[in-house]
Amino acid sequence: MNRTQPRGISNDRDRTRRRNAGASDANESGALGHIDVSHGLGGMDDVVTRRHFVKIMSASCLLAGVGLTGCRRPVETIVPFTRLPEGYIHGVSQYYATAMPTRDSAVPLVVRTHEGRPVKIEGNAEHPDQPTTDSQEHHHRGTDRHAQASVLSLYDPDRARRFGRNGENAPRQQALDFLASVSRKFEPIGGKGLHLLMERSSSPSRGRLQSLIRRRLPHAQWHVYEPVDYDVHRQAASLLFGKQVRPVFRLERARRILSLDSDFLAAEENSHRTIHSLAISRRLNSSDQEPSRLYVAESLYSLTGANADHRLSLSPSRLLLLAELTCAEFIAQSITKHRETDTAKLAGELRRRASPLPHSTSQWAKTCVADLVAAGPGSLVLAGYRQPLLVHLIAHALNLWLGSVGRTVEYVEAPARPELSIADLAAELEAGRVDTLVVLGGNPVYTAPADLDWTRAQRKATTVIRLGQYEDETSAVSDWQIPQAHYLESWGDARTGDGTVVPVQPLIEPLFGGLTEIEVLARLGGLTPTNPYEIVRDTFRELCKEGVFEERWRRFLHDGFLVGSASPAVRVGEVDWSILSAALSETENHKTPRAHQIEVVYARDTRVDDGRHANNGWLQELPDPVTKITWDNVIAISPKTAKQLGLQVTDKDGKDLRAPIVRLELNGRAIEGPIWVQPGLADHTVGLALGYGRTAAGRVGTGVGFNAYSLRVSRAPHHATGANLSKTGRTYPLACTQNHASMEGRPIVREANLEVYRANSRFARAMDSDTSRPARSPALYPNPLARMSTSARHQWGMSIDLQACVGCAACVVACQSENNIPIVGREQVRLHREMHWLRVDRYFAGPAENPEMLNQPMLCQHCESAPCESVCPVNATVHNDEGLNVMVYNRCVGTRYCSNNCPFKVRRFNYFDYHRRPLARLNVSPLVSATDGLWDTKRWWHDPDRGSRPEDEWNLLKLVQNPDVTVRMRGVMEKCTFCLQRIEQAKIERKVAAADSNRVEVEDDSFHTACEQACPAGAIVFGNVKSPHSLVAVSKADARSYQVLDHLNLNARVTYLARVRNPNPAMPDYHPRPHSTEEYLKHGGRLEGGFSSVTGTSLKTAGRPGGER
Amino acid sequence: MTKATNMPEAVRVGPPPHELERPPLIADRPGVGWVSDVVARIAEGPTPRWWWLAFGTALLLLGLFIAMVAYLATTGVGVWGVGHPVMWGWAVVNFVWWIGIGHAGTLISAILFLLRQRWRTAVNRLAEAMTVFAVICAALFPIIHVGRIWYAWWLFPIPTSNGVWPQFHSPLIWDVFAILTYFTVSVMFWYTGLIPDLGLMRDRARTRFRQFLYGLFALGWTGSSRHWHNYQKAYLILAGLSTSLVISVHSIVSLDFAATQLPGWHTAIFPPYFVAGAMFSGFGMVLTLVIPIRKLCGLEDIITLRHIDLICKVTLATGSIVIYAYIMEALAAWHAGQPYERFAIWNRVVGPYSWACVIMLIGNVITPQAFWFRKVRRNLALVWILSIVINIGMWFERFVIVVSSLNRDFLPANWGYYAPTWVDVCTYAGTFGLFFTFFLLFLRCLPVVAVAEVKSIVPAADSHAHASGDSNRC
Repeated sequence: MNRTQPRGISNDRDRTRRRNAGASDANESGALGHIDVSHGLGGMDDVVTRRHFVKIMSASCLLAGVGLTGCRRPVETIVPFTRLPEGYIHGVSQYYATAMPTRDSAVPLVVRTHEGRPVKIEGNAEHPDQPTTDSQEHHHRGTDRHAQASVLSLYDPDRARRFGRNGENAPRQQALDFLASVSRKFEPIGGKGLHLLMERSSSPSRGRLQSLIRRRLPHAQWHVYEPVDYDVHRQAASLLFGKQVRPVFRLERARRILSLDSDFLAAEENSHRTIHSLAISRRLNSSDQEPSRLYVAESLYSLTGANADHRLSLSPSRLLLLAELTCAEFIAQSITKHRETDTAKLAGELRRRASPLPHSTSQWAKTCVADLVAAGPGSLVLAGYRQPLLVHLIAHALNLWLGSVGRTVEYVEAPARPELSIADLAAELEAGRVDTLVVLGGNPVYTAPADLDWTRAQRKATTVIRLGQYEDETSAVSDWQIPQAHYLESWGDARTGDGTVVPVQPLIEPLFGGLTEIEVLARLGGLTPTNPYEIVRDTFRELCKEGVFEERWRRFLHDGFLVGSASPAVRVGEVDWSILSAALSETENHKTPRAHQIEVVYARDTRVDDGRHANNGWLQELPDPVTKITWDNVIAISPKTAKQLGLQVTDKDGKDLRAPIVRLELNGRAIEGPIWVQPGLADHTVGLALGYGRTAAGRVGTGVGFNAYSLRVSRAPHHATGANLSKTGRTYPLACTQNHASMEGRPIVREANLEVYRANSRFARAMDSDTSRPARSPALYPNPLARMSTSARHQWGMSIDLQACVGCAACVVACQSENNIPIVGREQVRLHREMHWLRVDRYFAGPAENPEMLNQPMLCQHCESAPCESVCPVNATVHNDEGLNVMVYNRCVGTRYCSNNCPFKVRRFNYFDYHRRPLARLNVSPLVSATDGLWDTKRWWHDPDRGSRPEDEWNLLKLVQNPDVTVRMRGVMEKCTFCLQRIEQAKIERKVAAADSNRVEVEDDSFHTACEQACPAGAIVFGNVKSPHSLVAVSKADARSYQVLDHLNLNARVTYLARVRNPNPAMPDYHPRPHSTEEYLKHGGRLEGGFSSVTGTSLKTAGRPGGER
Repeated sequence: MTKATNMPEAVRVGPPPHELERPPLIADRPGVGWVSDVVARIAEGPTPRWWWLAFGTALLLLGLFIAMVAYLATTGVGVWGVGHPVMWGWAVVNFVWWIGIGHAGTLISAILFLLRQRWRTAVNRLAEAMTVFAVICAALFPIIHVGRIWYAWWLFPIPTSNGVWPQFHSPLIWDVFAILTYFTVSVMFWYTGLIPDLGLMRDRARTRFRQFLYGLFALGWTGSSRHWHNYQKAYLILAGLSTSLVISVHSIVSLDFAATQLPGWHTAIFPPYFVAGAMFSGFGMVLTLVIPIRKLCGLEDIITLRHIDLICKVTLATGSIVIYAYIMEALAAWHAGQPYERFAIWNRVVGPYSWACVIMLIGNVITPQAFWFRKVRRNLALVWILSIVINIGMWFERFVIVVSSLNRDFLPANWGYYAPTWVDVCTYAGTFGLFFTFFLLFLRCLPVVAVAEVKSIVPAADSHAHASGDSNRC
C-alpha cells in the first residue's frame, strides 16, 4: 500500500491541500487525458480519463454549486492544474496520512484519494503505537469498522449543508459575524453566562484553545458530555495512584487476561489496537507456544466474551460481587506477607459482600485468580467502562499487585479534566444562568440523560449555538446551526491511545462549507488566527520545540504522527488502601435480580456507536457481530428469562423472523421494543443498545430501532435495576442475516483445546472426510486449469486464521467500501438479499446458558474446481490462470444458477438497482413512478444510467465509489474478486518497476486485499501461494490449515487455520473438547477421518432441522 | 361375417366368449361420416357461450401475465420472492411443471403410435396441442427469470460481435437445445398430423375466407393414395424422432439439477425419475382437459369412457414409477454416509417445507392409487378432481426439489426460507391465460380430434370386426 504513498517531503504541503473545486478542475482533467502516462498505464489512459473526466465534471459542478453559495474563506494553497503538481499522475490514487478522532483517542489512517475525493480508509502502518511483533507480522495496520465506514458519512447527502438561524438559511458570513459578536459580547464580562458543551477529544489544539479562552473568558463554563464515556479509566487510575495518569493496556504481552465486563474487542476505545494485541498474544506458530488465556465475566454477550476461553455471564449486580470476590481471593492467595489488619479487614469485607454469589461462581473466581497469580506479571485485569469506579479500582490494584504495571499495563501522564458535566449544565440552565450555550458536536437532545429533560432545559438558554454534522434533534432546538466539517475535510490534531500526536488533515475542501470545532472555538474566544490550519500549526509549534519547524511539520503531515510524542509513562507506587475501602463503602450492592426486578445494561452499539453513525448505511446494514441483526436494536434477554416471561422470538425457519414487542418499564419511564433471545446473556438482565430510535438522523437512520436513552438517567448511566418487562401483544419483524445458529455437527469451523493441538497439530485435517483424500489413480479428466496454473507467474490464495479472528467485521465494511457494494435496506435484508461479498458467519455451540461462539469470515473461496463456473450458461464466471474465479459482470445475464451451485453461497445477486434507486422505492417500476417531477421511464430514456435517486443523493453518493471497481447494475451476480483491482495495480507497478528486466513477479506481500488490510488482528493473509516464502504460503503450510467442505474436492484457494482454545483444566467450567467438536462427534463425525461412509448414523442425528437458537 | 370353411376345425378360431369381448373404443354409429360431422361442427358451428366466457377469462389472465412480465423486466427479479439461499423459486418450478405437462402429447402421439395403441387417435390431437402450448408457457420462464431479460438471447449459440459463445458445460445451455428441439419437432408432428384434417376442413368450408385459410395450411392435400403414402411415412419418421425427444427433453431438464453438487439435486436417478414424473403429470393434465372438452364439444362418442379408463391406467403406471423413484432417492441419500445428503432428504420430509412434501405425497403417491379401481376410473367427476390433485402434487414435487434442497444446504449459516410474492403467484396464474388463450383458439379453429385417424378405428371401418372378434383392439 505504501508504495504509492508519497514518500518525499517536498511538495507535501501542496498536496495536503486539495485543489480548488471548479470548472478549471474539469478542464484540466480533460486536458490531462493527453498527457503521456509513461508508467505502464499508456494503453488504458484514454478510457480511464474519459470516465474520470465525466466523474470529475459532475463532482466539480456539484462542488461549484454548493461551494459558491457561501463566501468562501481564502484557501492557503490553490494548485492550478495548469501546472501539474509534482508526482501527480492523473488517474493514479494518492495516499495521505490523517487520523479519525475518537473520544479519547484517534485512529491513525492513510486515506486514498482519487482526483480529489477520498475513497478508501486504511490504517497507518507507520504509526509507532504498534504491538511488538515478530518477523512474520504484516506490515500494515488494521482499522475498525467505524473508521472504514466514515468515508460514507463524508458524502452523506443528509449532512448539515447550511448555516441556519432559527431554522432559516443564513449566509455563512452572518454566522461568522455572529460568532465574533458573541466573543465581543462576553469579553468585557469575562465570559459570564457563556457555557460550552463539548464531546471528549484528545486534540492538543482544542486543549490549547481552551486554555487560551479560559484566560480571556475566565467565567465561561466548560462542560463535557459523552453518553459512552471512557474517562472512568483515567479517573480510577488517577484516584488510586494519586497522580494524573491513565492506563494503556498492552495485551500483546499478557499471558492471562481477566476482563470484568470489559468488551475491549468492540466497545472500548482503541479496539482495533486491542484486537491486534490479543491476536499477537494468541499467536500459534508452533505447538510449543501457548496462546494467552482470556477469562471474561460479563452481563451481555459481547465480542470479547465470544472470544473468551472461560466466560461467565452474570447480571451487573453479581458482576460487582464477582469483582469484589476476585479482589478478596487475590488478597487471600497472594498478599500473605501483608496480612496487615486493614488488608485483612478489606478482604473480609469484600468477601462478606460477595457472599450471595453461588459456590460455582466463587469457585470460578478462585481458580481464575490462582491462574492470574501463577502467571504473575503476565496477567492483566481489565474493567469495562460501564463498571463502577470500585471495579476499576480493584482492576488497577490487582494489576499493580500482580506486577503487571510496566508490562501488560502502563500508566501514562494524563492531564486532569476540569470540565463540568452535563448535569451541572442542566442545573445552570434551570437556574437561568446560561445566556449563551454553545453545543460543539454531540447531540444532547437525543443522548442526554432522560431525567435532565434536555429539550426543555436547552430552551432556557437565551441563545443556543450548535455546531453539528447533521441538522438533528439538537439543531431543532438551537438558534444557530453551524455545519460541522467531517474529519476528512478538517484540519485538526489528536492523540492516539499511547498519546502520540497525529494530524487530522483534510483530503477535500468542506463539501458544505462546514467549520471545525477548533475554528468555532477560536472565533468564539476572539482568538487569532481563526483558521484551523494555522491553529494546528501553532499547536504543533508548541509541541515540537526543537528542529526546523517547517521540516518537522511536513514530516508530521507526511508520516501522520509526531515521533516521540507518546505520553510518558509514570511510575506508580503503592495502592492507597483507604481509597479502596472508601470506594467500597460508597458502592451499594443491589439485590439479586428477579423476573420482575430486571437489570438493564445500556450498551454502546457495535455499529452506530452512541447514535452518531445512525445515518451511515454501511453500518446500519452491518450485522451485529453477535446477534447478526441489522437495521435495528433489540431488547436482549436470556433464554431462561424469556421462558419465564413467556416470550419467544418466532422464526418460522427463517421466513418471517418476528420478535414480540415488549414494554420495558423502569422507574416510571418506559420504552417499547422487540426482544431478542440471546443465548449466553445473564439471566434477568436486558441489554439495550444505544444509538437507535433517532427522530432526525437523516433518510437512512431516522426511525430505525427504539431509543434506549429515554430510559437512561444520570444517576444510573450504565446499569439500572428494577425494570419490568410486559408483553404488548404485538410483534415486530427483524432483519437478521443469519437464521441458523448451530453448525449441526458439521466440521465447518474446526477447533480444539490446546492439549489436543499439542498431541496432534494436524487435528483439523484429521477431520477431513474420506472422500477428500487424494485418489490413488490419476483423474480421468484432469482439471485443464492445473496446467495453466503452472505457467502463470502468480497463484493467488488466502488463509484466514480463526485463532486470530475475533469477528469484529471491520473486513466487511472495508470490502463494502473498496468494492462499491450497495446497501439494500432492511426489507431486502429480511429477504436475505444483502450484498456483502464478505460476511462473518457466527455459530453457537453448547448450552444455551453459556454457549461458545465461533466466527468464520466467509467469502468466495476461489475454488480451483469451481462449481459456479461449470453451470454458468454464458461464460460469465470463469477461471483465470492465476487461480482466480473471475466474474464478468458485462457477460452475466443473471440466471443465478452459479449461486445455487455454490456450496458456500457467497455469490450475491443485485435484485434491484440498489445503486440507482432509493431504498424506499426499490420495487417500484419506472413505468409508474416519477422522480424530481419527471416520469422515470422518460428519465431512463434520456439517461439509462441515471436511476431514480434524488439529485442530491445521486451526486454525493457516486463520489464514494471506488473508480477502479465496476458499479454493478441490477440483474447481475457479484462476488468477492480477491480485490482484483489491487492485484492488477500491483502487477502493473511491478512491471513498470521491472522495466526491461524480466522480474515481473509481484514481490511477496507487497499489497493487500481490502479485508486483509483492514483486519486489525492480521487474521487474513492474502498473497501468491506459488511463492514459498509468502506469508500466505507459510500460513497454508501450518498444521492447522484446513478447507471448509473438503469432501467436495473443490480445492478452494481460501483455507482456514483452525482455532485452538486454551481453557484452564482447573476451572469448574472446563471441558476437554470444545462444544462444537462434541457436537461433531455426536453427529457421527470422527476425529480421524471425518464422517464415515460406512457406519450408519441414525437419520435422526444426521441432521435435526429446526434446531435453531 | 365370412367363415374360413377350408380350415380344419382344430385350428379354427372362433369369436371370443362374450364376457372377454372388449368394449368398443368408439361408439358404433352407422358409417364413418359422422366423425367428420361431430369434429368439424366444433369449429364450424356458432360460437358457444361457454367459449366466450372461457376465452374472456383467459385473455384477462394473459393480460395479467404481460403486466407481471413488464413489472419484472422494468423493476428487477427482486419483485419475486427469491433471495439467499433460494435463488430459484416459482419461475423454475413452473418451468419444469409446464415442460412436464408438455410431455403427454408427444408421448401419446409418438410412443403410443409406435406401440400401435389405437386408442390414442381420439385424444392425440388435443394432447399435442396441449404439448405445444405448454412448452411455450414453459419456455417463457427461463427467459423471464434471468436478471437481465434483454440479454437472455446470450443463451442461444449466436456468434455475436463480442465473440463469446455460450458455455457448453452448463445444463442451462442443454436446456435451450433440448426445449427448442422438442418444441420444433412437436409443432411439426402436430402439424403433419393436422394436414389430412385441414383438407377436410377446407372441403367443408362455407366461406371463401375459411376455404382459403384451411386450403393454405392443408398444403394441397387431395387424399390421394400417394399423399397418404407419403404422409404416413413422414408421420412415422416424426414419431420416431419425437420418441427420443420425449425421453431427452425432461432428462435434460433434470440435469439442471442433477449436474450440480447440491444435496437433493445431485442425484443420478433424476433423468428417468423426471421423465416418469413428466408422463405422470402430462397424463394428469390430459385428463383435466379432456373430460370437460368431450362434454362441452359433444365428443362423448369419440372420446369414450374407455379412453378415460385407459389414460387413468397409464397415469397409475407412471405414478408407480414416480413412487419407486421417491424410495430410491431416499435410499441413495441414506446410503451416501454423508450428513449433507441425508440431511437434504430429512429436511424435505420434516424441515420447514414438510407441508409441501405432504402435498406432493398426497398428489403423487396416494391419489393415483384410486385408479386401481374401475369404478373410480369410470367416474368422470372423480377422475377430473383426482387429475387436478395430481397436477397440484406434481407442481409441489418440483417445488420440493427446487426449494427444499436450496433452503438448507452445506453451511447452516446460509439456511433460509423462501416464500413467493404476489408477483410470483400472478405470473404463474398468467401463464394459464397464455395457455388457455391458445387452447381455446385451437378448439374453435382446428379439428380437435384426428378425424382421419379416428375414422380408421370406428367399428364401421373394420371389415373384419366380428370375424376376428377384436375389432377394437387397443
